[in-house]
Amino acid sequence: MTLFRFGSDLDPVNSLLRLQREMERAFEHPLGIDLGLSGRGVFPPVNVFSDREGYVVRLEVPGIDPAHINIETHGRTLTVSGKRELKPAEGGSFHRRERNEGQFSRSIQLPQDLDLEHADAACKHGVLTIRVPKREEAKPRQITVKAA
Amino acid sequence: MTAQELSVRNKQEVTREEPTRPGRTYMPDVDIYETGDRLWLWADMPGVDEQSVQVNLVNGVLTLSGQVSLKDYENLAPVYTEYNVGNYVRRFTLSDTIDPNRITARMTNGVLELELPKAERAKPRKIDVAVS
Repeated sequence: MTLFRFGSDLDPVNSLLRLQREMERAFEHPLGIDLGLSGRGVFPPVNVFSDREGYVVRLEVPGIDPAHINIETHGRTLTVSGKRELKPAEGGSFHRRERNEGQFSRSIQLPQDLDLEHADAACKHGVLTIRVPKREEAKPRQITVKAA
Repeated sequence: MTAQELSVRNKQEVTREEPTRPGRTYMPDVDIYETGDRLWLWADMPGVDEQSVQVNLVNGVLTLSGQVSLKDYENLAPVYTEYNVGNYVRRFTLSDTIDPNRITARMTNGVLELELPKAERAKPRKIDVAVS
């Protein structure tokens, strides 16, 4: 697995291009980890990343008040659910209606070596990010070679 | 309303115009709603903050654009993806009934909301019919 750096030291256009290519590659060739996802096309769309600390699960939830998003864990399963309600329309008419409202629920099965008890979530600008750290024993460790 | 399941609208890539910068650009999903004296527009731009969104009205063409922050993707390797990230752009031609000086915009939870008041002369008027 390649770990790319999208650092602030890099030119933003190139960083975006690299990120987009990497994400496309993961779209076409997921890494074969069974996340038990119900499939593409279910709201909200999910991206899963990994880093040294664990997994980062990211969902696009524009227009949803973070207070109305429920996140539950059950064993290895992480479930995100909620409801998207749009502003009530009164006394007018729609010229264009592409955004929809309703309920949603998505579950993801995470690998055994992740520690859901220490997961945390943040919702920023319509993007929900859930960080799930690896269990202590699964974290990379440096082994010092003792002099004989 | 009964509990309706939400489905995903796949992001539509902007392909028609000549790109001015490389990379994929997407069209935000938009609702446009008209009441007697104004138009409302809502555009889904997840990942865009209020500092990174631009609204321009030039010669009757309203352009909405937003840039996503790449900082949140630093040091991450994608494992499984259902959507790609990219900047957003969308254009609409407005009739000349909108008062360009009174347009207001705000960004909440990744949704851009525009309030576009109509110019005085474009507001609906009731015309009384005199009885002869």
